[in-house]
Amino acid sequence: MNLNQKKFRTFYLSLFFIILYVPVLSVVLYSFNKSSSTAYWAGFTLNWYKELFNDRVILEAFNVSIKVALLTALLSAIVGTASAITSVYVTKKTEKTTNGLMFLPLIVPEVALGVSLLIFFSALKLPFGTFTLVISHSLFCVPYVYIMVQLRLKEINISIIEAAKDLGATRGQIIKTIILPLVMPSTLTASLLALAMSLDDVIISTYMAGPTTTTLPVHIFSMMRVGVTPKVNALCTLFLVGTFFLIGINQIIGTKGGKFFEQK
Amino acid sequence: MKKIKQNLPAFPILAYLTILVGIPLLLVVILSFLSRDSLGNIIFEFTLSNYKKMFDPVYLKVFLNSFTLAILTGIITLLIGYPVAYFTASLDRKMRSFVILLIMLPFWISSLLRTYGWSILLGKEGLINNILMFFNIIDKPLNMMYKFGTVLTGTAYMLVPFMILSIYNSVDKLDRSLLEASYDLGGGKWKTFFNITLPLTMPGIAQGYTLVFIPALGLYYISDLLGGGNTMFIGNLINNMATRGRNRPLASAFAIGMILLVVLVLFIYGRVTKNNKESLYQ
Repeated sequence: MNLNQKKFRTFYLSLFFIILYVPVLSVVLYSFNKSSSTAYWAGFTLNWYKELFNDRVILEAFNVSIKVALLTALLSAIVGTASAITSVYVTKKTEKTTNGLMFLPLIVPEVALGVSLLIFFSALKLPFGTFTLVISHSLFCVPYVYIMVQLRLKEINISIIEAAKDLGATRGQIIKTIILPLVMPSTLTASLLALAMSLDDVIISTYMAGPTTTTLPVHIFSMMRVGVTPKVNALCTLFLVGTFFLIGINQIIGTKGGKFFEQK
Repeated sequence: MKKIKQNLPAFPILAYLTILVGIPLLLVVILSFLSRDSLGNIIFEFTLSNYKKMFDPVYLKVFLNSFTLAILTGIITLLIGYPVAYFTASLDRKMRSFVILLIMLPFWISSLLRTYGWSILLGKEGLINNILMFFNIIDKPLNMMYKFGTVLTGTAYMLVPFMILSIYNSVDKLDRSLLEASYDLGGGKWKTFFNITLPLTMPGIAQGYTLVFIPALGLYYISDLLGGGNTMFIGNLINNMATRGRNRPLASAFAIGMILLVVLVLFIYGRVTKNNKESLYQ
């Protein structure tokens, strides 16, 4: 690449990232604006944050969201990891069937999946709430855990397993003492991803939320529809801080192959 | 018998997926052939009326809107994303990691926040109008909200990282010696790009296009917030009918129509990447 090409490259990438981040930054900026309109800047204030913490509906929705996200992450970690490890032991045909079924929730558009679950749980007469939210969120989180753990399993040196077998280890011992510790970083990363996806989900949650248990994104969405005050900005900003905190934790505890952002 | 025993551990996950994905989708298929009374109760009688309604010009228009939106979102994200992916792959190692982090970070930012950001920018009293008026470039605020283009901007913005990462993976795998060979043999920059780089990165493009197209069909909160309901899309329609409209049979039929559209795209994807062994989500 000559100098001109390099200059153009820098220019193009910079422009792209400015456009990518300006919408996010403007939400953050206006959360500190004294005026409730975006028409002008009336000065710095933290009032919207204060109002936020006095809003009981928001706090309640926040509680539900956190609870659902933690349970979803836990459930997805267990189901995803277990089924990925299982896939090593079953026949090729069964593994293929499992892989195919795993992709379904990712391929079917979320609205269609949401409607199908709405119909399903209504037919079962199950009450909508935390339970339906966790189950439905796990559907789009389990596949990610499954894929990430499977990728990790493929990297494991098969001779370690064979050595253990030769030394008389049972299948259970091999899974417990060799495989699980090796895939744990991938499981952790994937369940943090599950946590973030659950916290962010709007579409499926709209159908799965109960009359008294809505999640934060569903509530924010309804707030945005009726007209917004910078309270929404403040809420989004806090959410953003929370997410970055999560990523930070992962970057610190993440070991090899476990970090979100890593060049392979 | 031995096979059954070997496959036994897969039973729980297969049951989980069949019960929670297979059966609900089957229910959608069944419901799409039923109708409802004026109160929204399901009537158990076979009918094709829901599917016939799909060919009503009003609803056909909705399908067409969504299809156009998804196709255009794919084209725009491709045109914007390809150079980003191509340039990123040419950066040195350290810089590349940083740029990839910047591309992936939006996945972690609430999608409602990112959509809402655009209404702050594009609104009548929004940032762009304010800046343009401040510098006297315009004297009346521009009307940029609640249009098809607004929804398109928001959807493309939301999905462009998928396109970039897909293309980046295939550009990164590109055998650079092929490019050098082409230059040595007198192939110019553009000729090399169109004859070598582009065909070799086609799997990445196809993957990116598919990963963008499918969600673009159904992200109804973007069209709700940025389109203001001026243009109807299939996602909004299904959502309205399933919740407020209380017409689940019709919503089911439309959901099936939407899934068939996705199947069509996946079929084309399969044909385009016939020789490529990689799966869509890796």
